[in-house]
Amino acid sequence: MSGTTTSPDKVPAVEVEIDGHKVEVPEGTTLLAAARKAGVRIPTLCSHPAVEPYGACRVCITEIEVRGRKRLVTACNYPVREPLKAFTESDETRQQRRGVLSLMLARWPNVPAVRVLAEKHGAKPPAYRHPLRNEATDACILCGLCVRACSEMAWEDIIAFAGRGAGRRVMMPFGEPSERCTGCGTCAYICPTGAIKVHDEQNRPVDPARIRKYGFRLTQEMTLLDDQQCQMRRVGTAHLVEIMDAYDLLPTHNYKFGKHPDTPKIASHVWKTFVRQNVPDGCWAGCQMSCAKAVEDFVPRTGPYQGQKVLVDGPEYETVAGCGSNIGVFDPHDILEINFYCDTYGIDTISFGTATAFAMECFEAGILDTEKTGGLELRFGNGTAALELLHQMSRGEGFGVIVGQGVAEMKRIFAEKFGGDPAFLRDIGMEVKGLEYSEYVSKESLAQQGGYAMALKGPQHDEAWLIFMDMVNKQLPTFEKKAEALHYFPMWRTWFGLMGLCKLPWNDVEPEDNAKYPEPNKVPGHVEGYINFWAGMTGQEVTIDDIIRMSERVYNFQRVFNLRMGKGTREWDRGPYRAMGPVTVEEYESRAERYDKQLRELVGYDPAGKSTPEKLAALRKYREEQYEGLLDAVYKRRGWTRNGIPTIETLRNLGIDYPWVVEVVRPWLEKEGAA
Amino acid sequence: MSPAITVNDEPHPWREGMTVADVLRERNFVFPLLVVSVDGVHVSRDAYGTTPVPPGAVVVVTHLVSGG
Amino acid sequence: MTRIELENLEEVGRKHREKLARYEGLLLVCTGTGCVSAGAFSIRDELRALLERHKLQKKWLVVPTGCNGFCAMGPILVVQPAGIFYQKLGPKDLARIVEEHLLGGKPVRSLLHKDAASGEVVPRMADIPFFAKQQLIALRNKGLVDPESIASAISFGTYGALRKALQGMKPAEVLAEVKRSGIRGRGGAGFPTGLKWESCVEAVARTGKPPVVVCNADEGDPGAFMDRSIIETDPHAVLEGMCLGAYAVGAREGFVYIRKEYPLALERLEKAMAEARKHGLLGERILGTHFSFDIRIHRGAGAFVCGESTALMASMEGRVGEPRAKYVHNVESGYQGRPTVLNNVETWANIPVIVGKGGAAFAAIGSGDVSQSPWNGSSGTKVFSLVGNIRNTGLVEVPMGIRLREIIFDIGGGIHGGRKFKAVQTGGPSGGCIPAELLDLEVDFDNLTKAGSMMGSGGMIVMDDRTCMVDVAKYFVDFLKDESCGKCTPCREGLIGVSEMLGRITRGEGTPELLDELERTCRVMASASLCQLGATAPNPVLSTLRYFRDEYLAHIEKRKCPAGVCKELIRYQITKACTGCGVCARQCPQKCITGEKKKLHVIDRKNCIRCGICRDVCKFDAVRVS
Repeated sequence: MSGTTTSPDKVPAVEVEIDGHKVEVPEGTTLLAAARKAGVRIPTLCSHPAVEPYGACRVCITEIEVRGRKRLVTACNYPVREPLKAFTESDETRQQRRGVLSLMLARWPNVPAVRVLAEKHGAKPPAYRHPLRNEATDACILCGLCVRACSEMAWEDIIAFAGRGAGRRVMMPFGEPSERCTGCGTCAYICPTGAIKVHDEQNRPVDPARIRKYGFRLTQEMTLLDDQQCQMRRVGTAHLVEIMDAYDLLPTHNYKFGKHPDTPKIASHVWKTFVRQNVPDGCWAGCQMSCAKAVEDFVPRTGPYQGQKVLVDGPEYETVAGCGSNIGVFDPHDILEINFYCDTYGIDTISFGTATAFAMECFEAGILDTEKTGGLELRFGNGTAALELLHQMSRGEGFGVIVGQGVAEMKRIFAEKFGGDPAFLRDIGMEVKGLEYSEYVSKESLAQQGGYAMALKGPQHDEAWLIFMDMVNKQLPTFEKKAEALHYFPMWRTWFGLMGLCKLPWNDVEPEDNAKYPEPNKVPGHVEGYINFWAGMTGQEVTIDDIIRMSERVYNFQRVFNLRMGKGTREWDRGPYRAMGPVTVEEYESRAERYDKQLRELVGYDPAGKSTPEKLAALRKYREEQYEGLLDAVYKRRGWTRNGIPTIETLRNLGIDYPWVVEVVRPWLEKEGAA
Repeated sequence: MSPAITVNDEPHPWREGMTVADVLRERNFVFPLLVVSVDGVHVSRDAYGTTPVPPGAVVVVTHLVSGG
Repeated sequence: MTRIELENLEEVGRKHREKLARYEGLLLVCTGTGCVSAGAFSIRDELRALLERHKLQKKWLVVPTGCNGFCAMGPILVVQPAGIFYQKLGPKDLARIVEEHLLGGKPVRSLLHKDAASGEVVPRMADIPFFAKQQLIALRNKGLVDPESIASAISFGTYGALRKALQGMKPAEVLAEVKRSGIRGRGGAGFPTGLKWESCVEAVARTGKPPVVVCNADEGDPGAFMDRSIIETDPHAVLEGMCLGAYAVGAREGFVYIRKEYPLALERLEKAMAEARKHGLLGERILGTHFSFDIRIHRGAGAFVCGESTALMASMEGRVGEPRAKYVHNVESGYQGRPTVLNNVETWANIPVIVGKGGAAFAAIGSGDVSQSPWNGSSGTKVFSLVGNIRNTGLVEVPMGIRLREIIFDIGGGIHGGRKFKAVQTGGPSGGCIPAELLDLEVDFDNLTKAGSMMGSGGMIVMDDRTCMVDVAKYFVDFLKDESCGKCTPCREGLIGVSEMLGRITRGEGTPELLDELERTCRVMASASLCQLGATAPNPVLSTLRYFRDEYLAHIEKRKCPAGVCKELIRYQITKACTGCGVCARQCPQKCITGEKKKLHVIDRKNCIRCGICRDVCKFDAVRVS
């Protein structure tokens, strides 16, 4: 290790000369890669950039000279460790290459990958007839790429070589189709001869090769880049826990705070010790992101499965945040147990976490007490109480019945039955349109506040996740820019729902060259993939604008539906103040410096000498005004009225001005005077 | 009075020998998917530790989106 | 007797020798696999029973030993202290030995060894040329030590070198002695062992990874049984060698990779290891010192290619036994990516002698001068397995540099059945054939390589004039074709191609173009193969082409097999020497020989399968192959 932790290990450089061209490469680079750097292409057959080199076909054999001695090496896996000269077109190299290709030609005379190389390098079939001569054009040439792909790319190890020598062949264990094969097609795609076939009858895509090209590219990215990026395969979405904590975004104690000193107890390195990757959990079995995970042999300490070994499907980030930090629980075992029972009872972990967090804050604020809760000490951090609540919900007994109805109902009940202050309850009850908030602190990002509160189904971030763009990158400084983001991203992300695709492969791994694009947040390299996916499936060429429009049509249609169900106007697009700013003195003072600065710089209000409640009020006024400004800008961009209703013109432009649609919006438009 | 740099439009104190990696560390930018540029020049990840940040530089650290 | 410490090792050996000295003599019964398959266990048991019957069990002790080496003459019994050598024994012979020799004091002459040339009886083992001309280092205790008794091993000095090293030598000093000895690997490649160990020490310093030592007991060459015998005969010698190696390179872990086809060797090895552990000569705190080292056994599963070091290590790791490129050597990154020293059984067996007596003494034996560099000669001895058409089949150990002629004729007793020497194949499927004109070749690594063969693991297959060299080449090629792992093109497809071409030539379907193609294919295999299996596979072909090209040409141009072997090209005929005895007709499996009593018999060529049985059984040499 050299120097400080900030500088990487210095790998020595080695100078090599390939066909007279000199290049410098880091020690350990393969001769093949060094040649490529020097602009020299050495032929290969069993080599592929996405998998480890194998050195089996010997086509890349090259004469080199090291320390004055000549020798023959395979370029694909020869590590350059000292200066050398390589001669890719010397008599010796050509003779060896021809010899190898001639041997392959004897057995596989018609496989294009072999024939083309043989012809190019002057190799002819030998003078004997190969006893295993195979005249098929799609014969298997035993290159082993499929085996390596299944192992290194799909992480499945289902196919391998069996037999020895002339009997060598690729197969699944015992020659039987393996149940574990997910049909991901990676082996078929990497096969250079077409010996492995994928049958597409069911979906009948117009151009499967076009789709597979981009699918394979994604697999390659996951294989080579995931470990340095988000580690979706190794730990999945839980990689976000410590990151969100670092950026003050991890919901803690009912979204009061964004970090906690105990977060390391539930950070990704902890989950790595619990989980085993790649357990299919109902996601599409061929997915190469493969971020599903499970904890095996978990023993719950409560409930009907107490003391038994069970499998826990998770935990995802949302569960760790929602059923962990947000309710003050930092014990991984409790989080896993909540995860398990939520799954078992069919309860959403986000809703459970956010609802329980609300109940806990109400308990700590004195609105609830053990008499009202039937004995449950619903304080932040009491995992046992949280679990009991969960069991009660499933049984339909006790206080669980109340919490189980969700935050919206609890607000009403706590105000009406328990004498809670409705305004306070409204401020801290994290729900919009009846759905509980998902697990990100949107307090400091106006764009995300909109992203949550304006979402059609309720505050679920699948429509937009703009916190970094807004807060950290400062890429959305104006209302217009925020509105544009709140147009593009919800429309883009909605498209995945329309396609029945998971959106994680779009941006939870990035192509290596993503940084070069002007709008890297959109991951244009992958957008291209999805455009080609559509075209490959349907035969219809589209642009990104066409795709956005597809979503826009459905989105607006959904908006009208919301309207019909009574939650489609401006008032329903507002969230609790807890999602927008500090509600309590405690919250203000936890970020006092930041809030004071904002008051000074943005509001033009001097915090010096003011009390915290005064500052709270001033900040609140500002933020609420800002939010209204955002709503105006977004509605305008979307072609909706000030009350958030799609205009007839908008509906017409999108081609969804059906009579029964217009029928719903017209009365509202007329009431607003905007018909 | 030491010269400052700008990181994502916000001032940030500069010091002698500062590298990109130092900036990321000081701002606690631990997110793995970053695109960093110094005075408009893109800096690749493996050069974070060795790329110096001159005084007055404009550093842009774009966080890409992931998760959830 | 439990754990032995540095101070009391000598005493253990002394006590055992004293115990044996109380007997009038020892009856050393060879129980190597060869003799066992000929009934040696019955010999052992019957002898013990006889001694009891005659109440001699306090005067004579039956000591079952490992392979004595003179396999052609098994089952073998050597009576100490006189060293009287009994051979080809059956259980019924033993009563005479007990009564006439042990009780009566007169050895049973009819059961002793007879010199083939003179016909004279040679009673003492030391006088028999087969033994007299050998020089024993690896097999120093053969025929003497009881492989299933650690006390016996210690009494012959085993573990003495380890004690010397642990008591007063630093690991670097042990390494220095091995370097000084100049010993080159006995597994086949002949790489200087000292250099290998030194590279390992450097790699450990560089990478910080813990090293491991491995013993390659996969011995796959057909006809080779040196390693099997060493383990069956003197397993503690191998264990001691590995301990010394581990000490020198700083390893705590070792493995023996032994092929599955060696059950007796495995049994003796496991027993020896258990005993060594029990007595503190293996495992934690060996001989009461801070040095801890233990060994695990890994069994092969029937793959010749797993004798190749990287395939062996893949097999040990639970992966398919396939080789990998050796651009990064095993000493740098081998088993589990750790610095690994892999040596052959025979190499390990030599190490205790090198450390015990000093490397210089070892270097003084053999050929060349290794004082400046181990590459300048071949120091020490080599164990060879002499098999084939030779009179004295068995295991011999001779100093490097001995002439081939001496091995084959003086020790080996010449060609069996009085036929003519044609060639000797050395180095197994990776080696080549040495013809009669090179009989004065001084056998060592470099001379054999220069002659187009190689030392290999030490197999020596002697061939007489009834051997077809093209057929020999085909035999080895077909062996390798079955054993090739199939990973790389030149070996897999090359061997299929060469086998096809040799098949055609032996069937009389060869052409000059085919011979050119054969040589071309051999060249590609030699240069482009991934591992040495493929790279050396052409050797039998190329060496037979070099020295016996005329035989190839006879097959191709004249469609004749001069040695009378290739079935498509020969026919069997009965000559006028036939006496009409009818023995051949009765033995013929095809029943295609007809003839009247006392009249000339005739072979029906259409149904004759050229099995050669008629020629073998004819007492009048009346069957001719043309």
